[in-house]
Amino acid sequence: MTTTQNPPSTPPRTATALVWARRRAAAARVWRQFATDRGGVAGLVVLGVIVLLAVLAPALTDQTGLDVTRAPGAPWQAPSGEFWLGTDHTGRSVLLLTWWGAQVSLLVGLAATLLSVGIGTVVGVCAAHFGGWVSSVLLRVTDFFLVLPSLVLALVLSTVLPQGLGTIILAIGVTSWPSTARLVRAQTLTVEARPYIERSRALGGGHGHVIGKHVLPAVLPLVFVNTTLTVASAIIAESTLSFLGLGDPTRVSWGSMLHSASLHGAVSKGAWWYLLPPGLGIVVVVLAFTLCGRALETVLNPRLAHSAGER
Amino acid sequence: MAPGVALQAAAQQAGGTTLRVAITQQIDTLNPFIAIFQSSTELGRLMYEFLTTFDTHNQPTPGLAEKWETSADKLTWTYTIRQGAKWSDGQPITAKDVVFTYNLMMTNADAATANGNFVANFESVTAPDEHTVVIKTKVPVTTMTAMEVPIVPEHVWASVSDIATYANDTTPVVGSGPFVLTEYKANEYIKLKANKDYWRGPAKYDELQFVYYKNADAAVQALQKGEVDLVNRLAPAQFDSLKNDPNIVPNQAKGRRFNELLINPGAATKDGQPIGDGHPALKDVRVRQAIAKAIDVTTIVNKVMGGYAEPATGLIPTMWGDYHWQPAAGQERKFDPAAANADLDAAGYPKGADGTRVGPDGRALTLRLLGHSGRAFDEQTAEYVKRWLSDIGIGVEVQLVSDNQFNETSTAGNFDLQVSTWGSNPDPDYILSLHTCAQRPNPDGKGGTTDSFFCDAEYDALYAQQSAEFDRTKRAELVRKMQQRLYEQAPLVMLDYDNALEGYRKDRFDGFQKQPAQDGVIMAQSSYWGYYSATPVAATSAGAGSSTGLVIGVVVVVVVVLAGGGLLVARRRGSTADERE
Repeated sequence: MTTTQNPPSTPPRTATALVWARRRAAAARVWRQFATDRGGVAGLVVLGVIVLLAVLAPALTDQTGLDVTRAPGAPWQAPSGEFWLGTDHTGRSVLLLTWWGAQVSLLVGLAATLLSVGIGTVVGVCAAHFGGWVSSVLLRVTDFFLVLPSLVLALVLSTVLPQGLGTIILAIGVTSWPSTARLVRAQTLTVEARPYIERSRALGGGHGHVIGKHVLPAVLPLVFVNTTLTVASAIIAESTLSFLGLGDPTRVSWGSMLHSASLHGAVSKGAWWYLLPPGLGIVVVVLAFTLCGRALETVLNPRLAHSAGER
Repeated sequence: MAPGVALQAAAQQAGGTTLRVAITQQIDTLNPFIAIFQSSTELGRLMYEFLTTFDTHNQPTPGLAEKWETSADKLTWTYTIRQGAKWSDGQPITAKDVVFTYNLMMTNADAATANGNFVANFESVTAPDEHTVVIKTKVPVTTMTAMEVPIVPEHVWASVSDIATYANDTTPVVGSGPFVLTEYKANEYIKLKANKDYWRGPAKYDELQFVYYKNADAAVQALQKGEVDLVNRLAPAQFDSLKNDPNIVPNQAKGRRFNELLINPGAATKDGQPIGDGHPALKDVRVRQAIAKAIDVTTIVNKVMGGYAEPATGLIPTMWGDYHWQPAAGQERKFDPAAANADLDAAGYPKGADGTRVGPDGRALTLRLLGHSGRAFDEQTAEYVKRWLSDIGIGVEVQLVSDNQFNETSTAGNFDLQVSTWGSNPDPDYILSLHTCAQRPNPDGKGGTTDSFFCDAEYDALYAQQSAEFDRTKRAELVRKMQQRLYEQAPLVMLDYDNALEGYRKDRFDGFQKQPAQDGVIMAQSSYWGYYSATPVAATSAGAGSSTGLVIGVVVVVVVVLAGGGLLVARRRGSTADERE
């Protein structure tokens, strides 16, 4: 990355190489600006640690501890040297549950976001690019989903469809895309109004060429920022659905931990060690995603960058 | 939410003559002919006197009927209705009201919805005079002094045109029981006043209130704060937390309720037409027995129920004495995954490459396990069963669904395994009938209440014998034989007999009459003694109560607010970026 800061010693030989060199330079620029935002960097570090821990959970911990029939401790043990975060109602370690819960929460959050942003981008770009009746139809559909209370819709979907991770991902994904679609449509409209798009058309560029080569690259940074911010709300949505008992009943997630804690009387029992870890887990991850997303937004969204400059 | 509750508690320092009871179950209807939820049948018991009820030893005892006698052939029953008993609007209660109620159930299918089984074999019900009722039956019926049928006033109900849609909520609801329903707000509260004209004499306090709580945790908090005086259906952890409170008496009672794991033995209609999509391997009794062997009932009792239950064997819980069946020393099925594995190997279900067994038809033994979502027992048991069965090479897919969905799926026979629960009565007839061929549904899915879709000639023959056997010892022996047959055929695995966990504030009320008298329940009795006998205690200043719950509550609120804040920030950023375009 550091090499791209200086002009390359020999001029690139092909157009592709030139494009890649320019992209590397742009990425480096983005990173430099991002690195000036302390909050963003902190968020990124926290995220990195949590993701690493979640991915390495099978290697670092023993999965049999999640098996209720082989639970190592007595039920409702307070935090101690043996169980740092105490035990749940079946005698499993809350630390272990929280650790493994991160996997499902992150997985669902990311997958649902990809689905949501994917739908939103396609709908948004198509609505802006094609105009006319395509635009009208797509926008009315978007409006329809926008006015529906998304949590209620997600609740209904996850009740009707068979229980499981896939259903939760689907329920969150198909209910949270409308705002992305509106955002992408607006950005596409401004990009398509620029003269180079007109030139490209005049030179005979088709829909595929204009969207693929010109519109998407210009819209993607915004989509990327939007993704980072959507993950945060997707993780909260997952926790909400699992807390309401609609998640995959046989997999531990932070939401399902809160669900069983309240179901089995952790509040009456005063078992704060069962409620706090998953709750704090959600707060920390959501905060980290939001911090990253905001920092990226300042860098990548030209309007916000200008206003930041004026400050 | 927690601080709000505390404020409410301060505002609700009510007088000492209202017994406030927390309930978490909804009311399906106040119409006693339709009501089947435990909560609403309990209200029916408070509002309407039965012909006979059960005393504190669960023996039949006079209600509206002062005494009764039966003919030598057991086909004619003559009840003498007590003189001087009045409806709550002052009209006298006569034999005509009883005749009206039973005839309505015999002639109107809607009126037979809840308690139709009691009148199924009735020939006629007549009133030779104001205070005598004669019931003739087609065959001898053992439940003639165990009829849990609310008797309704003819002068009110004669004008009801459609029983099925009649809500019965014109307050005060005219009744004959110890309490009169005066106010009802769905999902908020139910208020009943003591019936001053009640023939046993009015209750010792003025008003009985049922207050709704969303979950048992909230109800426990309300009890500790002094917002309510009586709570039941507690989870083990909640029950334990009450033990440290000096003002609260926890009551651990032998319960009428049991939990079972149903194994679909091949669901079919009354005519034997197969319905549903149950796994075919479960028709094989050897597979069912192997599953039963792989389930550790003791662990369910100790871990899931926190020790507040008894390991179950027969269908009838231990509290019903000689009706309860216990396998003889050699017969009992021990928890033995190794033996279950060996049995399945021998039965021709070898393990496949992925460790899951495969049947002779080539279909893998992967079973769906149906349970109620939000019911602590189902959610936990499902997890244990999944692990135990995976140890014997049977895959389990857990499906936790809403109550309505649960009922639909199970009546249609669309399940392999199912966690189910029933409350048993002093007379075992009803619970035993749930496994007879005749209780299987019609092709349209209605017309019977089967539990397991079990259909077995030997069991049915024993059922017919016991329902006509008036000798208690002989009947008990038949009832035990039926349970043994169920145990051997294993269409279900009995898991546990629940203890009923309740708690009340002794600084507000005392003297609750339990049923059974020594170690019984206060709420959910087969009668009304618990509520009727409650005695107010001279009001003292309410204790501070435990503040741990409040602290936890506040912490949870803070976490939720923080999380909500995070979401809000995320939304905000999204929306501003949107607007700026």
